[in-house]
Amino acid sequence: MRPLRIALTKGRLEEKAVSLFERAGYDCSALRNKGRRLILPLAGGGMEAVLCKAPDVITYVEHGVCDAGVVGKDTILEKGGTFYEMLDLGFGRCRFALAGPKGTDFFSGYSARTVASKYPNVAANYFAGKAMDVRIIKIEGSVELAPLLGLADAIVDLVETGTTLRENGLQVIETLCGVSARFIVGASSLKFRRQEIEALASRLERAAQAEGPERKAQP
Amino acid sequence: MKNYSRITPEGTRDYLFEECRSRHRIEKKLSDIFSARGFREVMTPGLEYYDVFDPAFSGIGQEVLFKMSDRQGRIVVMRPDNTLPIARLAATRLQNLRKPLRLFYVQPIYRSHPGLAGRSSEDVQAGVELLGAGGFRADLEVLATAVEALNACAPGFRMEIGHAGFFRSLAKSLPASGDFRERVRGAVESKNYGALDVCLSGLGDSPQIRALRALPRLYGGEEVFEKAAPFCTGELEKTLRSLRRLYRTLAGLGLGGRLMADLGLVQRNDYYTGIVFSAYLEGCGDAVLRGGRYDGLLEHFGEPMPAVGFGVDVDALTRAALERRAARTPSRADVLVHGGDGYELAALKHAAELIAKGLRCETSVFPTEEDAAAYARACGIRRMDVVGSGIRTVRFGEAKA
Repeated sequence: MRPLRIALTKGRLEEKAVSLFERAGYDCSALRNKGRRLILPLAGGGMEAVLCKAPDVITYVEHGVCDAGVVGKDTILEKGGTFYEMLDLGFGRCRFALAGPKGTDFFSGYSARTVASKYPNVAANYFAGKAMDVRIIKIEGSVELAPLLGLADAIVDLVETGTTLRENGLQVIETLCGVSARFIVGASSLKFRRQEIEALASRLERAAQAEGPERKAQP
Repeated sequence: MKNYSRITPEGTRDYLFEECRSRHRIEKKLSDIFSARGFREVMTPGLEYYDVFDPAFSGIGQEVLFKMSDRQGRIVVMRPDNTLPIARLAATRLQNLRKPLRLFYVQPIYRSHPGLAGRSSEDVQAGVELLGAGGFRADLEVLATAVEALNACAPGFRMEIGHAGFFRSLAKSLPASGDFRERVRGAVESKNYGALDVCLSGLGDSPQIRALRALPRLYGGEEVFEKAAPFCTGELEKTLRSLRRLYRTLAGLGLGGRLMADLGLVQRNDYYTGIVFSAYLEGCGDAVLRGGRYDGLLEHFGEPMPAVGFGVDVDALTRAALERRAARTPSRADVLVHGGDGYELAALKHAAELIAKGLRCETSVFPTEEDAAAYARACGIRRMDVVGSGIRTVRFGEAKA
């Protein structure tokens, strides 16, 4: 049987995920000296880490080619999918927020609004929940530009400290929900490799709890 | 305007040669098993009225349905599920037959999935439905059929069983909002302990809430039943006992470590009322078999009766079978029969004789013997019979196809 394969989100969450695995007692030396390799031995070859972009973590886990993964709740909310979301790892914490130019009232009046977002599904679900018809435009990069350029009335985006918003004359209108990194497990993998996966999950859970005293679970 | 005449729609594909043979073989194996156990085959139309799959009781979202309208403007869909049409059939044309009805089917379902995710829109499913029978024996009969089917086609499977009653009964203690119930259901289904805790916080600490909280963790081997016992009182105690009995009986079928219990198993189709079960293959992310008891469904078609059944993904079994025999070369004819001018009929008769002997035989459509020989060599046909006033056999050496 091949080693247990864990998909890790590259970039923002990567360093924190690797240090969590280290605190949980897994040898991550290959991940620390990865060069340009994308598949690396973890825990001395007992497991394999696969480095990929966030939405791909879900894709690989759903198709059963990776057994588990570390991915942000933001990606899970945007992409959806069928898998077990077993742990809130507590890091990469920020929130989804609706933000618009300071001093404007987004909800007043009856003219249809335009909202720019990198997360069109999250934005669409949010406004559908409010029974609001909103035109949503997908933007790939700095979403803050859209209201500044007059393309959109507001944005739905991830907000960590709010500095970028403030420096561009925007403010949070409403918070949608909080997000953080999650440990996800493929449905099929949990049937075939339950002991390994549960052992890994409980070690990660303990390491994550030891880290953040004020961590609180989020939906 | 863009022209799409040279490609197939996303989520569909052509099946070639070995794939067809392998799929037919799986279909035959399954059909043989089902009919040997007394199930009779039915085929339902590929097109059905939308109302048969009303999302209110089917749990099938309207966004996955391929829809069109008929001449009177009524909404028609490509069949997205096999259980509902069979429920319709059982409640209408078959309502006067002696129960229980044992029906089976092998036919495709059509579902539209989000783009570019590698999911198929057209999947052949095979399955059985046992209608008009409730109770342990009926559950066991259907589960045993599922186990026999998987043993024959993909013996390395894992099967999990659960019971819709756990969530259904515990959810009664939740606030009535359907939205909220759906959020809790989603958290249980995805074993999202954190989200479940948040949903249930502020609902007090009643035994039901404590049981709901524990539900997603109650999976594994037979020890699950011990772990679950403290949470299961009254009605649930009975449910737990009957599930355990089923688990033990199934284990007696030689399932050993391939069987799991998962009390947090809530199927996506909301119509299940009793046992629910799924089976998985290694390396195949989604379940290949799903089933359960749906005692409330026939009522929607005007003829209430208990029912239980399952469907298995024939395409997934076919892929698994093909992977096991990956290196097989495509099958070629054993003999090419070429008739000279004026001997076309004689060539046909000769070919028929060879076929009767069990050989696979192509009749040449080339004007000359040289062309026929070149073709045979190119495709790796090792023998050519040339029919003229006599029959001359030419053999070719190993050729690269």
